[in-house]
Amino acid sequence: MNKRKVTFTVNGERHELVVEPNELLLNVLREKLGLTGTKYACGKGQCGACTVLVNGESFLSCLTLAVAVDGAEIRTIEGVAEPDGTLDPIQEAFLDSSAIQCGFCTPGMVLMGRELLNRNPRATEEEIREQIKGNLCRCTGYFSIVRAIKSCCEK
Amino acid sequence: MAQQKGEVKEMINTRILTQEFDYFAPESIKQVVELLERHGEGARVIAGGTDLINQMKEEKMSPSCLVNIMNVKGLRYIKEDEGLRIGAATKLRDVRAYCFKSRYVALYEAISSLGKPQVWNMGTIGGNLCNASPAADTAPPLLVFKARVKLVGKDGERELLLEDFFTGVNSTVLQPTELMVEIHLDPPGDGAGNAFLKVARVGADISKVSCAVFLKRQGRTCTECRVALGAAAPVPMRVKVVEEMIEGREIEESLVAKASEIVSEEVKPIDDIRSSAEYRRQVAAVTFRDVFWKAWDRAIGGKN
Repeated sequence: MNKRKVTFTVNGERHELVVEPNELLLNVLREKLGLTGTKYACGKGQCGACTVLVNGESFLSCLTLAVAVDGAEIRTIEGVAEPDGTLDPIQEAFLDSSAIQCGFCTPGMVLMGRELLNRNPRATEEEIREQIKGNLCRCTGYFSIVRAIKSCCEK
Repeated sequence: MAQQKGEVKEMINTRILTQEFDYFAPESIKQVVELLERHGEGARVIAGGTDLINQMKEEKMSPSCLVNIMNVKGLRYIKEDEGLRIGAATKLRDVRAYCFKSRYVALYEAISSLGKPQVWNMGTIGGNLCNASPAADTAPPLLVFKARVKLVGKDGERELLLEDFFTGVNSTVLQPTELMVEIHLDPPGDGAGNAFLKVARVGADISKVSCAVFLKRQGRTCTECRVALGAAAPVPMRVKVVEEMIEGREIEESLVAKASEIVSEEVKPIDDIRSSAEYRRQVAAVTFRDVFWKAWDRAIGGKN
């Protein structure tokens, strides 16, 4: 395998790493950069728990080769709040709407909400449901998650 | 532990990719073809990777070399030029956005039903075709738009109809040293309508059966009709017997009902975890009927 040097920014911080071609973005984030907010669950792109934003677009990091995001700007759940710890409105909304229970799907859900609102601040409930259709929650329930994202939309 | 017949194969490790391979990210079509030629049969093109990485995790595919085409210039575009020309590495999200409320609305409907936003962001239209799943959602609409695909290899380029592209489950006419570069859809023309529907368990699931219809009408007469089904045979298929039965005829309930029976007879579905063949046969008929009427209404400016 030909190791390669890759450079990308994660939550605004530039990283230069040497990676094997078979390393997945998910594992590089979790194990090399210690950003364990991004979750491994199904590993097949079915559940959305590993979602991160790559150049502003939601990607499944369990199916993304780290070498393939060379030069990209990546945002993980750790980079959603302000550097001083002030939560993003969407995170506040998840707390206010009780949209968190075990929390395992939450990083993916919050990032999907963020991606949608960045693109369309006036998203309808239907658009919210479409946006999170590939993110599975097995305990909180979708109602409160949809409600949380909806409460951040402009009327 | 010895495996019993019918027992589920040992658990697959989906956390890491255990396979080892070389990786290249060329910037031109010429370089892609050179790399494919140099690395021979073991080389695979990777675009979004949503299918390929899964297949590698499941060890259905073990390439010795991956050639990433997402940095290749001139493979991502959508332009109107004697129909619609789409670069093979165009993201599904871009194709979906372009086809929304367009003359190619069936393609919008197909991509909307395919996977989820993350897959639209990662996956490409060429990848969906080259993976050649019998259930590839973009295939039925592209078949009814009489899409042609352009392939580039070491001996130059060739163009063929999409219906001649698929040869079986996960197999195509694509040579190991060839790359799909463009998908070209016929212009629909006046009085045309099209639609796509799929039957699946939940929103982001793989289809049990899917169907696309393209037609042209003059008053009550259907002057042109193309029908394609997905997940109903080893390859996405046109149902030409039905097309011939409908073309040039006045459209009545009874004719469409008869046609849907023929659809049921013509499909060659299998039993698998998603559905039984028998269920697929029945649902193919109903799906065809619904899609036909949707396209029929749209052809006279009916709402999308």
